[in-house]
Amino acid sequence: MTSAITATVLLGGVAALDAGPVAQTLLSQPLVTATLLGLLWNDLPLALSVGVVLQILAASTLPVGSRTPEDYAMGGVIGVALALLLAQQQPYSMARDGCALVGVFAGMISATAGVPLLKWQRRRNEGLSHWCEEELLAGRERSLVQAHAAGVVLAFGVGVSYTAACLAVGVGMLLGVVRTESIWLARAWLFAQPLWIGLGLAQLLHAFVQRRLLRVAVFGAALFVTWILLMVGSA
Amino acid sequence: MALRASLLQATFNFERQQGLGWAYSIAPALQRLYPDPELRARRLAEHTAYFNTQPTLCSVALGAVASYEEQRAHGAPIDASGMTRVKNVLGAALAAIGDRMFWFTLRPLVACFGVILAASGSAFGAVVMWGCYNVMHQGMRFAGVGWGYRQGPSVLSGDLRMRLERMIGVWSLMGVAAVGATVAVILVPDGIPRPVLFQIVFVSGLAFGLIAAQRVRPSPTEWALGAGVVSLIAAWPR
Repeated sequence: MTSAITATVLLGGVAALDAGPVAQTLLSQPLVTATLLGLLWNDLPLALSVGVVLQILAASTLPVGSRTPEDYAMGGVIGVALALLLAQQQPYSMARDGCALVGVFAGMISATAGVPLLKWQRRRNEGLSHWCEEELLAGRERSLVQAHAAGVVLAFGVGVSYTAACLAVGVGMLLGVVRTESIWLARAWLFAQPLWIGLGLAQLLHAFVQRRLLRVAVFGAALFVTWILLMVGSA
Repeated sequence: MALRASLLQATFNFERQQGLGWAYSIAPALQRLYPDPELRARRLAEHTAYFNTQPTLCSVALGAVASYEEQRAHGAPIDASGMTRVKNVLGAALAAIGDRMFWFTLRPLVACFGVILAASGSAFGAVVMWGCYNVMHQGMRFAGVGWGYRQGPSVLSGDLRMRLERMIGVWSLMGVAAVGATVAVILVPDGIPRPVLFQIVFVSGLAFGLIAAQRVRPSPTEWALGAGVVSLIAAWPR
């Protein structure tokens, strides 16, 4: 279990890097990190049920204007890992739904709370930028590499620390709640899961359609054809 | 340069945004163009000024500015402010195209692909999502430097802009189709309809989400947090 927790925390650091500072490959998206965590913790169904909800919400969160969007790279890792950690301690299968609900909540809250941390990193990088310019003017070209290494190390360190802190606090605070209120939480998951997915998909649909009738028709046709194919396929 | 552009945002900050990352990315071109270390250091310091664009399409600007820098190194009358103007114009134009292309279209599209597969419990959802995105993202990042270098600062006045706009249109159509397919897969996974309660709550969420999407604030996450609290209250033990 210790090695799984260590790997989870390190994945938090990798996700923090991928989300912005390095390559932006979508490795940090909740569905990808949820799949990795599900394989790591040997509980793919629970990881995916949390990951799918967080992924839809993450995809519908767009960087509009000057607003810094929620940090779903961190939210994805923390939410899914917390659900998996809590579920490991539960002997009853019903409690797993409660863990999923708690995981999605933790994911959304940590994604929102991660925004000030991102802003703090950006302010730290301002000093790095000034230092680098002075060094370049003094003829030290290596300072560019050093500044970038510092930026990467800072982002990785913040990602690892934030993941570890959120998981420690989350398990400490929520383990008892999940144990004693599992029926209530499982029932709430029955309402919350479809509501969250519906809300997120509506945001995506709105972003794609942009009041064009042709696109509404394509949406309807795709929905109908997929529905028929699924029904015929299962018959 | 394309490889270095992967670190464009490693030192992102409020004051110069991607300025330092830009200087780091263009450094190999300057290394080749300016053998004199003192002049090269001055040029590099110039490039640490404010710059911001969409990170994938930044490579197009990198190629174009490298070509402009080449003209400058060969004696063309180009000063620092002219270079800054070209960088800023390209950055703004590429951001306008790139944000729509990658953040508003391709990312949600591949997320739908991933969710369709993951909803049935498959680990391949993540692989498909990651793979599809990176074919385009890394492909354009590496090809972009060449496009920009060949056409120089006028790279976006040719047919590249039209091709990119056409691509956004096609991906948007694919996106609405993917959302439609996702809705069907969520409601009838593996051809077995979900319980009526699930369907009612899901359709209510969809309808409410479409109304909520008309306003920028509250954000989707804030709406979702509110919906979660409502679910907890609805399920309160009696």
